[in-house]
Amino acid sequence: MSALRQVWRVASYEWFDALRSRRALVVLLIYMAAAVCNMYWSISFLHKVETKLASALLLQESSRAGVVSTALWKSEKYQELMRAMVNNDEVYRDISGKHPVELIYAWFAFFYTPLLVVLVAGSRIAEDLGSGAVRYVIFRTSRATWSVGKFLGQALMIGFALLLSGVGAYLVAKVRLSGSGAPDLFLNMAQWSLRAWVFSFAYLGLAMGLSHLTKSASKATALGILAITVCFIVTVLLRYFTAETGWRSYLPYLGVLVPEEHKMYLWRSALAPLVSGTVYLVTLGFCYLLCGYARFRKQDL
Amino acid sequence: MDIAIDTRDLVKCYGARRALDGLTLSVPRYSLLGLIGPNGAGKTTWMMSVAGFLRLNSGSIDLLGEGPFDTRAHRGRLSILPQDSDLPLESRPLELLTHYGLLQGLTRREAARSAAEILDDVHLGDRVNAPIRSLSHGMRKRVMIAQCFLGHPEVILLDEPLSGLDPREVSHMRDLIRRRRGRQTVVISSHNLHDIEQVCDHVAFVEKGRAVRVAPLAEVTGAASLLVYHLTCAPLDLGALAAAAPQTTLSLSSDGLQLTCSYHPRDLSPDAVNRLLLPALLDQPCGLLSVSQGSSLESAYLKSL
Repeated sequence: MSALRQVWRVASYEWFDALRSRRALVVLLIYMAAAVCNMYWSISFLHKVETKLASALLLQESSRAGVVSTALWKSEKYQELMRAMVNNDEVYRDISGKHPVELIYAWFAFFYTPLLVVLVAGSRIAEDLGSGAVRYVIFRTSRATWSVGKFLGQALMIGFALLLSGVGAYLVAKVRLSGSGAPDLFLNMAQWSLRAWVFSFAYLGLAMGLSHLTKSASKATALGILAITVCFIVTVLLRYFTAETGWRSYLPYLGVLVPEEHKMYLWRSALAPLVSGTVYLVTLGFCYLLCGYARFRKQDL
Repeated sequence: MDIAIDTRDLVKCYGARRALDGLTLSVPRYSLLGLIGPNGAGKTTWMMSVAGFLRLNSGSIDLLGEGPFDTRAHRGRLSILPQDSDLPLESRPLELLTHYGLLQGLTRREAARSAAEILDDVHLGDRVNAPIRSLSHGMRKRVMIAQCFLGHPEVILLDEPLSGLDPREVSHMRDLIRRRRGRQTVVISSHNLHDIEQVCDHVAFVEKGRAVRVAPLAEVTGAASLLVYHLTCAPLDLGALAAAAPQTTLSLSSDGLQLTCSYHPRDLSPDAVNRLLLPALLDQPCGLLSVSQGSSLESAYLKSL
């Protein structure tokens, strides 16, 4: 049996098993609910802005959201606000034509994916190491196959969570924006879910790599949360403390190791940056996983 | 002799403590070998080392003539019941065992059939689709034992397989293991010497990380050279008994209720010894309760300490 088939067997069983894990299911549902609520509140906020705008412009108010917002997001003020928020001309160019609802969902997906990853997948390997369940597997398949299979199984789980949250958010948008003339967002939202999934690979590798280092599920989760906090701090350092000279001039090199620094590629529309971002993030994820695996490979079980 | 597992001078240290201290042990192919020793003697460490779970400090392992455990060479040929290891709690026995079967190289059909058969064999046919979380301790243990027999592996290592099972299941599991004789090599670690005696044909005494004695069970208990007579009271005249069976050596236990007769199997058979000794014994005013071949494993083990 080829190694790839073995990896697939472990991955598919892991996914199947993770779907039945109460904890993962609760986190998945919370994430989906959060995506739906985020969409609902964002559209409500948009509607309030529209109402204000309509009364200021002496237009007839609408009970539905989105009627005035087409004009709103094409306005110069809104575009300026976007440019300031994005702080990257190329990204700004690529997203400036997109529907705000789509961008709100994309922001949500990118922002909360690391936390979703840590809470769903961060403890899976540590759990099996702690309970001894790994001992029933690794005389049947190699340690490498088991690690990579678990990783891919959890990647499928995260992909499923993102897809569900995308569908939920789309349905809310569809209902709340119906009749507003807003474009059908489904494919676009699915595309953002896919990009967030690619982004999740790096954090998944980080969380599951760390999960190899302990036999306690709670410690593994804590390590994962600590790791995303460190990544966040490094990102802030890179953004605000980089200097031309001195030690701070070396800070940008750290960026290679931080998933956030490759995220901007995923906001782009052109194929080349998308592909390069995908390659970077997936490779980074596997590198993190490999670091954890390097210890596990020699570990007594 | 064909050897299934050959381990030489194994050393495994946990900090300053040597769990294995030069343990050398060879397991004949198709034998049922019982590992006996006190807590911390190194039995579990030895099994885990053979299965490739532990990294040794030194020593060599030859498993089925193909070197130390390697998934590529030994997948599906070795299985283990590890101690203190839980199965994934959300899984169902049938699908979990089918998954394990697939991993060890069986086809989907073979894996499903083998899993269903072995689960039926351990009396879990009616719980194959119940979450493992919902099974009792004993039932989980039976699933753990069942996974060892999937796909007919050549070597099976069982660490305390019968602990936590009810008496009916213990008896059934002993039968299940005994049926492997001559077809698979089974190593059992247990503190219950009665179980070992019932199931195994070879035993190894392990003490402080070393194998102090490895021999066929019959040799250890003296089954081929020893008859034990259980009496109601002490015989009055031991000299008369010795005269009746001059080619044997007789000894009486301290309470006088057990008469042990040792003989050379080349010169005498158990029947011959009985023919010589029993008339003389029945002439004496002591009742005979039973005759057993060899001493119990427990007494042989305790005597060896």
